[in-house]
Amino acid sequence: MKPARIPEEEYMTSGHVACQGCGATQAMRFALKALGPKTALVIPACCWSVIDGPFPHSSLRVPLFHTAFEAAASTASGLKAGLEMRGDTETTVMAWAGDGGTFDIGIQSLSGAAERNEDIIYTCYDNEAYMNTGIQRSSSTPVGAWTTTTPVAHYKKRPKKKIIDIMAAHSIPYIATASVAFPEDFIRKFKKAKEIKGTRFIHVFAPCPTGWKLPPELSVAMARQAVTSKVFPLLEVTEHGKRWKVWKDFEPTPVRDYIKAQGRFRHLKDEEIKAIEEEVENNWQLLLAREQMSMNLPGLNKEDDDS
Amino acid sequence: MGDKKIEFGSYKEMPMCAMSVDDMLWNHTGSWRNVRPYYDPKTSPCRTGCPAGEDIQRYIFLVTEKHYKEGWETIMRSNPMPSVTGRVCFHPCMDKCTRGDYDQAVNIPAIERALGDMAFENYDWIVKTKASKKQKVAVVGGGPAGLSCAYYAAKLGYAVTIFEKEKALGGVLRWGIPEYRLPNDVLDKAVKVILDSGEIDVKTEQAIGRDFSLEDLKKKYDAVFIGIGLSRSRSLGIDGENMEGVEAGLEFLKSINSGKKVSQGKEVVVIGGGNTAMDVARTARRIGSNVTVVYRRTMNEMPAIRDEIEEAEREGVRFRFLATPASIARGKGGKLSVVFQEMQLGEPDESGRRRPVPVEGKTFTMDVDKLFTAIGEEAVLDGLDSVEQEWSLIKAASRFGDTNIDGVFAGGDVVTGAASVVEAVAAGRAAAEKIDRYFDGKEDPAPEEVRTVGFKDMNTAYFTHAKRNEVPRISPEEALSSFDEIYRGFDMALLHREADRCFSCGVCNYCDNCWIFCPDVAISRGENEYEINYDYCKGCLVCVTECPRSVISTREEGK
Repeated sequence: MKPARIPEEEYMTSGHVACQGCGATQAMRFALKALGPKTALVIPACCWSVIDGPFPHSSLRVPLFHTAFEAAASTASGLKAGLEMRGDTETTVMAWAGDGGTFDIGIQSLSGAAERNEDIIYTCYDNEAYMNTGIQRSSSTPVGAWTTTTPVAHYKKRPKKKIIDIMAAHSIPYIATASVAFPEDFIRKFKKAKEIKGTRFIHVFAPCPTGWKLPPELSVAMARQAVTSKVFPLLEVTEHGKRWKVWKDFEPTPVRDYIKAQGRFRHLKDEEIKAIEEEVENNWQLLLAREQMSMNLPGLNKEDDDS
Repeated sequence: MGDKKIEFGSYKEMPMCAMSVDDMLWNHTGSWRNVRPYYDPKTSPCRTGCPAGEDIQRYIFLVTEKHYKEGWETIMRSNPMPSVTGRVCFHPCMDKCTRGDYDQAVNIPAIERALGDMAFENYDWIVKTKASKKQKVAVVGGGPAGLSCAYYAAKLGYAVTIFEKEKALGGVLRWGIPEYRLPNDVLDKAVKVILDSGEIDVKTEQAIGRDFSLEDLKKKYDAVFIGIGLSRSRSLGIDGENMEGVEAGLEFLKSINSGKKVSQGKEVVVIGGGNTAMDVARTARRIGSNVTVVYRRTMNEMPAIRDEIEEAEREGVRFRFLATPASIARGKGGKLSVVFQEMQLGEPDESGRRRPVPVEGKTFTMDVDKLFTAIGEEAVLDGLDSVEQEWSLIKAASRFGDTNIDGVFAGGDVVTGAASVVEAVAAGRAAAEKIDRYFDGKEDPAPEEVRTVGFKDMNTAYFTHAKRNEVPRISPEEALSSFDEIYRGFDMALLHREADRCFSCGVCNYCDNCWIFCPDVAISRGENEYEINYDYCKGCLVCVTECPRSVISTREEGK
């Protein structure tokens, strides 16, 4: 056997109660492989507060603190402060929240922690709706999608909130997006985040076969296509929100294929899909322009350190 | 830990605060599953396409792992002369290569050749098998079929004697294939590898029907293999054919390959469209002639290997299609005046190619110094009257080469008619294995059920486009000025770059995808395999989709 492509240590075990093909579990497994055993998690209400297992059981081999929906970032800030008071500066504290707990309900505490530059990693694993409670729309749900609160007749008309822009506006030291379809990149970013002090925000794309009306075997394929169709670009924002770096070294695939594969978009007509395609392309161009602009800022390194 | 769910009898048994005290392994999520994934290696199309059934995927994988010796041994299990086939085979494997549907087929023959040649430099790879069995095997004919049969019979523990009509072993490889395609020293080394691999005795300048009879062999040996190939050129059957200046192409190649000086004038015409015609034409170019190949059909119907036709064109061989010689006479200045009948394509014949038919009244004449015939070869079956024949070939009773005479086997071109080196090699091995079963009174094996994967089964997201690495070559100008080998083979860097292009269709190459992407941590990474823990596998089948090479199959639970 060749050497493994990603760390072999496991900090998540079998027996968890996630649905078949759950992207959020892959995300957790990769993140912990990168961060290692000296990690403490803070999890607000979200799928993972269930996936982990019922009291007194846990499928994670690291400590996990369940907290209220709106409080992931503030609880993580407090946990980090508490550990430091006890002389533990080594443990990585990571808030691990869904898109509802990040984009909607937890955004106030996240914004506060980021503004204070608390020494925590905040990961949003984004499955684009409140999946745990039965697929209600969040402000992360993409335009065009069906959810139980945006039924087919009134599918979601507003675009997904640009959380990376919001976080970049907080001038925190490290922001990245990651996808479960690109495990090496995923793990590299979490390892990088671990070594940085201050608030680090990682936006993880984690498909939800149940909520997306998707055959579970396609969950990783969808995560991959989200990236290659530019729906979910892989990027890093460093230098306190100023340096933008977008990953472009892939063979592009059509947005249409990504949309067509998922039941939550089944009702969309051709012109609606076209509008989404245009929107994706516009956002991509804006991103590239932003990257280009950030290259010409005075006083910033032209070359990124490691990628 | 974890094999039992904790149930508290009362609050007194609970921890001080709500904290977890155990894992979730008691929760056997495998009960959710309705479809089961399982590892199920399949066959790569290159292997199915190889007449000798070489395990191509495996030896290329072993190259990527730098296990060259094991790679070479893998080839030798189905083909004892990779240095030869790596140079001269018509590589149907490459035509079947999945990568051909993606960008360009993998350069399989170049990898095969590299491994074959590596054995010459690493002679400790060659192990001499002792003759452990009491029976003795005679092999008549030292060409590809005979050498293959001798090798595998020796490897099975028999003492083998090869009877060769010529001065040296190799058959068509030595006398029919020019040195620029297969240098004599490479052939010598390839033959030596075979002879050093077992107890193989060689008797040269011994022809059946001239120096000994089949009955002589039957008396001294327990089994006889006949692999004498096709040694006589077909004649044109037209007026003037026996005139001086008209020669069999095969004889010409033989003279050149045995180092004789041959002069054949300035203007040469070669009749035929097969590999011999290409070899004759290109050889004649090398000794300074202007060469025209005349073929009765068009380029599309030419049986020669496509690469050989292209090389011939590159070397300035001219082609005249849809014509066939009608008569030959002595013309001005002692030249041959050849009259050609023009042809056109009619209905397809039994080979599926369109049959050439004469165009009434249309002829043309060419004045040439020499005319070579290369319209095919036929078997010389002297001394083999007792063996059942059909169409002037030996008739085999099965695909294993047994004949109507007990203990006499045959294979290669003498059975199939003009075929290829690799098919002769396959026939030699099949006969050796058949001889082994014949001695032990064992049944023939049933044909294997082969499940071949194709391009549609691949997950190409894990592949990146990359051009095929071609074998370095000398320029056509340089090539024309000598008989030096044109293609020079891969160095190690090229070998690895090309081996890395292999998709490893249908066979696990430990890419880790199944293990990485399992959301339920139900796949473990063992010493040499992955294992699915069905206690926890929920049957999401992400592993099946993400396997780039279609190794994992599924079946419904309870069926």
